[in-house]
Amino acid sequence: MSTRDFREFIGKLEQEGQLVRFHEEILPEPDVRGVGRGAVDLGPTGPAVLMDNIKGYKGKQLALNVHGSWANYAIMMGMPKNTSLKEMFYELARRWDRYPGEVKRVNNPVCQQNVIRKNINLYEIFPLFRVNPYDGGCYFAKASVVTNDLDEPDEFDKTNVGMYRLQVQGPDTIGLGALPFHDLGMHVRHAEAANRPLPIAICLGVHPMLSVMACTPIAYGKSEYKYAAALDGAPMEIAKALTSDLDIPAGCEYVIEGKVLPRQRFPEAPFGEFPGTYSGGRNQLRIQVEAVTHRNDPILENMYTGRSWSELDTIIGLSTCVPLYQQLRETMPEVTAVNALYQHGLTVIVAVDNKFGHYAKTVAMRLASTPHGVSYCKNIILVDGSVDPFDLVQVMWALSTRVRPAKDVIVIAPTPGHPTEPSSDPKGISGKVIIDATTPAYPDTTGPQYRLVDKVENTEIFRKRIVELQQATGR
Amino acid sequence: MQCARCLADTASVVAHAPDGSGAWEMIYCARCNFSWRTSDEDQYINPARREQIFQYEGLDLETLPTVMPIAPLRK
Amino acid sequence: MPSLDFRDFLGQLEQQGQLVRLSDEILPEPDVRAVARAAADMVDTGPAVVMDNIKGYKGKKLAVNVHGSWANYAIMMGMPKTTSLKEMFYELARRWESSAGEVKWVTNPVCQQNVITSNINLYEILPLYRINPYDGGFYFSKASVITRDPEYPGNLDKTNVGLYRMQVHGPDTIGLNIQPAHDIGTHLRKAEENNQPLPIAICLGVHPMLSVMACTPLAYGQSEFKFAAALDGRTQELAKALTCDLDLPAGTEIILEGEVVPRQRTAEGPFGEMPGCYSALRSQYRIKVKAVTHRNDPIMESLYVGMPWTEHDTLVGLSTCVPLYQQLRETMPEVTAVNALYQHGLTVIVAVDNKFGHYAKTVAMRLASTPHGVSYCKNIILVDGSVDPFDLPQVMWALSTRVRPDKDVIVIHPTRGHPSDPSSEPPGISGKVIIDATTPAYPDKTGPEYRLIDKVENSDLFRQKLQELQRLVSGRKLEPTTV
Repeated sequence: MSTRDFREFIGKLEQEGQLVRFHEEILPEPDVRGVGRGAVDLGPTGPAVLMDNIKGYKGKQLALNVHGSWANYAIMMGMPKNTSLKEMFYELARRWDRYPGEVKRVNNPVCQQNVIRKNINLYEIFPLFRVNPYDGGCYFAKASVVTNDLDEPDEFDKTNVGMYRLQVQGPDTIGLGALPFHDLGMHVRHAEAANRPLPIAICLGVHPMLSVMACTPIAYGKSEYKYAAALDGAPMEIAKALTSDLDIPAGCEYVIEGKVLPRQRFPEAPFGEFPGTYSGGRNQLRIQVEAVTHRNDPILENMYTGRSWSELDTIIGLSTCVPLYQQLRETMPEVTAVNALYQHGLTVIVAVDNKFGHYAKTVAMRLASTPHGVSYCKNIILVDGSVDPFDLVQVMWALSTRVRPAKDVIVIAPTPGHPTEPSSDPKGISGKVIIDATTPAYPDTTGPQYRLVDKVENTEIFRKRIVELQQATGR
Repeated sequence: MQCARCLADTASVVAHAPDGSGAWEMIYCARCNFSWRTSDEDQYINPARREQIFQYEGLDLETLPTVMPIAPLRK
Repeated sequence: MPSLDFRDFLGQLEQQGQLVRLSDEILPEPDVRAVARAAADMVDTGPAVVMDNIKGYKGKKLAVNVHGSWANYAIMMGMPKTTSLKEMFYELARRWESSAGEVKWVTNPVCQQNVITSNINLYEILPLYRINPYDGGFYFSKASVITRDPEYPGNLDKTNVGLYRMQVHGPDTIGLNIQPAHDIGTHLRKAEENNQPLPIAICLGVHPMLSVMACTPLAYGQSEFKFAAALDGRTQELAKALTCDLDLPAGTEIILEGEVVPRQRTAEGPFGEMPGCYSALRSQYRIKVKAVTHRNDPIMESLYVGMPWTEHDTLVGLSTCVPLYQQLRETMPEVTAVNALYQHGLTVIVAVDNKFGHYAKTVAMRLASTPHGVSYCKNIILVDGSVDPFDLPQVMWALSTRVRPDKDVIVIHPTRGHPSDPSSEPPGISGKVIIDATTPAYPDKTGPEYRLIDKVENSDLFRQKLQELQRLVSGRKLEPTTV
């Protein structure tokens, strides 16, 4: 079930009909973006795409949409590719509790089969492309970025692996789009307070579970490597970087090693992002590149980023749901599922059984006060435990038949918000909207009692029979 | 050469198509960090056609928001 | 291609792989319900199912899920079965505005190939089944019921065709559940005032467009027959009833002719309904059946109704959206689409371009004050014109990135509500919830961070290429992911 590295995962996708090789000659702009968007628009069963004939970059391999569909995510989980979202959610939650997994150190890692230390020209080494037309340049949009806390360099668990956007700015310098409340932000602060450059390793084409963990908010002091190992069911292989003491994934395709320049800022952005808009120009950190290492015959992994639904939504989706689910259930076992797939949990649907009247509203307040909920979890919709929060049509039914406008719609403003969320105004200030679409419980009164129509039994047998008959028609 | 975005004379060619085909060049502005490929679509790299909302002409780059504040030095 | 009648439509479905024949022996209860539910769960592509081996009714044919999937609905519209919801919506809206359709009368209609006027026992003639376990009896859930205003004999425009639930009582009596606001309510009131029975015809297995019109609110005086003809692009054929003066759709499978007994009421219900719960026991009208007529080898039609999403939702869905869309656009051409599919428009998503700051909220008020919006349209979500309101993940995206809690969430209560909304308290009193998830317009705050990423022009082309490549590597048709 477990996968060794990115290259092996690509092989598994191909075996399952979830990877296509694109050999047509295409332009970096505007074609690669079209491929990325087109692939993710194929929806929950869409394939990863491997290109090797990008004009000017002939022979260099570029992979997009590796996490772009639920089918691919299921294969990463070692599950059948048509597994339902709800089943994957529960399986991920189950594995989450296996933390910590193990790491295993290797020497002579494949990611260092080739080493470049001089005349580094990122534009020529990597098949880069401008992701969205008005982006400020070419971006690495799917890098796992490794840094340590210089104040505690020997604490392995304090190593951070995070996914940050990286703008190529010249042949060997890169703009780093960090945010102060990320773990990377803390590492930078400690380094800059001591006026020291911060060693950094940009890892591309990493183990798919590591990519998932790189964009999952976990507690400071918890290791993304050990989480990835726990979720995958096998140890993560790591190795030492060449120009620093950082621990990098041994089997990744490329590593860009360098240093973050202390106490300097440079213009970075715009970059088209998940809200479907361009983030504005800002002054940001800069990395000076010192070495590029890579596997033989390397594959660059990148990601089309744009308006939801895109690959970013699939990669962060379920791992955003699970920590929230578990934090709620610590004190509220009546919560049965959490759907936080929308825009990293800006909109959340929680399924919960009311243990007494208006309990769901209390659950909403708990959600809004989790670490992630503070700045995300803006729209909070509560539905009954028997409603599948991943089925939006069922959620619409709950809104239609359970919301009492006078009692079940609550706005709390102002509250903290997320600065990159366009409707947050001023940046970082927003509010919470609670919509209680649960069935009232005693002593909340409902007027005449309504008896729900029960779930119809034995439909599975007939469903299979009908599908059989329909396939037999051959049309 | 002129930067397509900030219009200052601070841009230069930094890379050529590595497969030797001569298909394009990469140009980079060291002042505002904008980069573009000569084979990109004209409406996005021609300063006369780019949307105004994205242009930096006359913009004091120091006024861009600094997302990561610089922490005071430790003694 | 427009269908001639119900049987012709089933043939079209079958031709396109959208009809299956289930000849396995099954029990009326609990199996028929499970078959219908299973088929309806395949919302996008599920087939109609024709059963002919129901225990005790061997050889009698029952069709369910005829309108049960968007694929079937598209075929009814004469469109490819993979047509998107949004395209079907626009096509239906286009046809809605075309001129009234034509009707023509025929003699010796196929619906009267066989006539039964004595010893009528509905339980033996028709393959009936209890739809939901606690229903009060065996219901017709897809009957088109025809009555006429007694003051206007022979007037086609004053004839009403409506979809009402009907509970079989005795061998030849049927309960009729209606609300006063329905057109048939007017007909009944007038008949009862004169202590006259009201002639009534219950049509089972009618032209698919007529079923759609039967559950669409039209103005009193608008003819469902003519609308169905207009939407279908083909003349509707009518014939005279045998026991009264009513006009009936000529190609119907089975028709029950009778009269509503005046000035009497009887117990009717409960019945599992569209909001997913049982409606209460009520005191309602009773029909006495005088004749049963049917085609040779007749096919009875029924639909499963209960917890959404069911065939009922697909049947009424788009024809709930279109009138609202057109009423809004009379004065607000910035409205680009209306999704009122959820619980007959209890929750609505309107796509509109803000022509100035907060315009979307005005659109919400217009919606809430349309005739249908008065008691339905409780939750009103506004999204940009560029957002597909039928694509719920896109709607979630709009909620996430456009709603400013302090400005864009408005509750108006109390207002009129719909009694069948379980959350209305007391029944018939509710409120409105307006959620504005549109991009702000001047003079409401805007800025560069609202510059949307443009549609990627060439992505459709690449999507098709990639789909083809994936089909080749898979070597077979891909199954959809269950989500």
